Amino acid sequence: MSDNAESPTETQKDEPSTPQQPTEDSGMADDKKKIDVLLKAVGDTPIMKTKKWSVEKGRTVQSLSQFISRFLKMEANEQLFIYVNQSFSPSPDQEVGVLFECFGSDGKLVLHYCKSQAWG
Amino acid sequence: MAGRPTPGCLSDLEMESEEPTEVEMSSCFLDEETFCQCCQLLLQHSHSLCDGWSWEQVKGSEGYLRKTALGTGRTRCILDQQGNSSDQHQERTFSLSFHNDEDDEDDGAVCCIQEESSSSSVVQYEYHILYSCSYQTPVLYFRASTLEGRSLCLEEVWDSVHPNYRQRLQHRPWDTITQQEHPLLGQSFFVLHPCRTEEFMMPVLKAALEEHRQVNYIVTWLSVVGPVVGLDVPLSYCTQVPEPPHTPSSSPQPPSSSPQPPSSSPQPPSSSPQPPSSSPQPPSSSPQPPSSSPQPPSSSPQPPALGTKPG
Repeated sequence: MSDNAESPTETQKDEPSTPQQPTEDSGMADDKKKIDVLLKAVGDTPIMKTKKWSVEKGRTVQSLSQFISRFLKMEANEQLFIYVNQSFSPSPDQEVGVLFECFGSDGKLVLHYCKSQAWG
Repeated sequence: MAGRPTPGCLSDLEMESEEPTEVEMSSCFLDEETFCQCCQLLLQHSHSLCDGWSWEQVKGSEGYLRKTALGTGRTRCILDQQGNSSDQHQERTFSLSFHNDEDDEDDGAVCCIQEESSSSSVVQYEYHILYSCSYQTPVLYFRASTLEGRSLCLEEVWDSVHPNYRQRLQHRPWDTITQQEHPLLGQSFFVLHPCRTEEFMMPVLKAALEEHRQVNYIVTWLSVVGPVVGLDVPLSYCTQVPEPPHTPSSSPQPPSSSPQPPSSSPQPPSSSPQPPSSSPQPPSSSPQPPSSSPQPPSSSPQPPALGTKPG
């Protein structure tokens, strides 16, 4: 997984010369593995033209959420909600790879998203 | 409002197909009985995980879920005259409530403004999940203090909100998290405002309705609000915690019982109406003249979303 990228302290302990870039066919190939994510709009939230995305396993829900927000050109007062199985919302720190393993079907992870004027 | 379905009882909604719009509107609300059931189911899973939730009962009737946890937050410390603080990992930031303008240069004039540094530190959180009769939703109350026992101030709590929600919070902080008196304990707590709960619950509840399944309202709700304020909700809650049982208003639905005129049934619900889950009384056999459908025992006649609020 992207443990190395997300643990700067570990990187410092290692020799700086240790390449963090994975070699082509090393065991780190999994880091580059991507999963298919299908994004579905809920309600009157704008529908993305491209619904199917290939996302790195180590990417967080927050990162995906930011991406969708920018893609939809959302405003500062709007909040994006993402749902799994249309039954709960994953934590922003959750990795999409884990969600795929638990809730993926037919080789993809389906996420519903909804835009709202949250909290106010 | 004849024909209006009983709001707040999720399973009843499956029977009402005549007015889908109103059903959708009312499906976002949670009645107190279902709240308790959902909480108990969450609690069972929490025990199996040793996740720390407990049920606290107050005044013999109202209860709430409680959990303490350590998390991170951004706390302040005052800089000394040399601009140093005891914390090595300080950052110079200014909070939402301070203005970084020329006032700082005027040393003598505004003595109440102090330069502070904000740093990431360990924070002790205490979370309470209460039921709000006014909103007919759960509400998240919480306290936060440093390990030395100092309570965080509101600005520090705002600074500690998860980055995913920070932008929206900064846009309207006072609409998001404020301090209020805990309804049951009377102490000062931070509150995550519930007024928009229906907006983020709606997609889930609507989908569940269409697919003829139920969700555990509390688990779904907590999965959304928890991460905002540092409360981790392990994924297993979303897969392992069951939904509350159906209320016994299933198949044999006598027509007279379904549309109940809410305002004309001033039944004293505290006179033990059928508790939906524990006694499987078929609604048709219950000798209740005002309304024969198993009305969830909220403390007042089921208000439509606009109508008289209980309590």
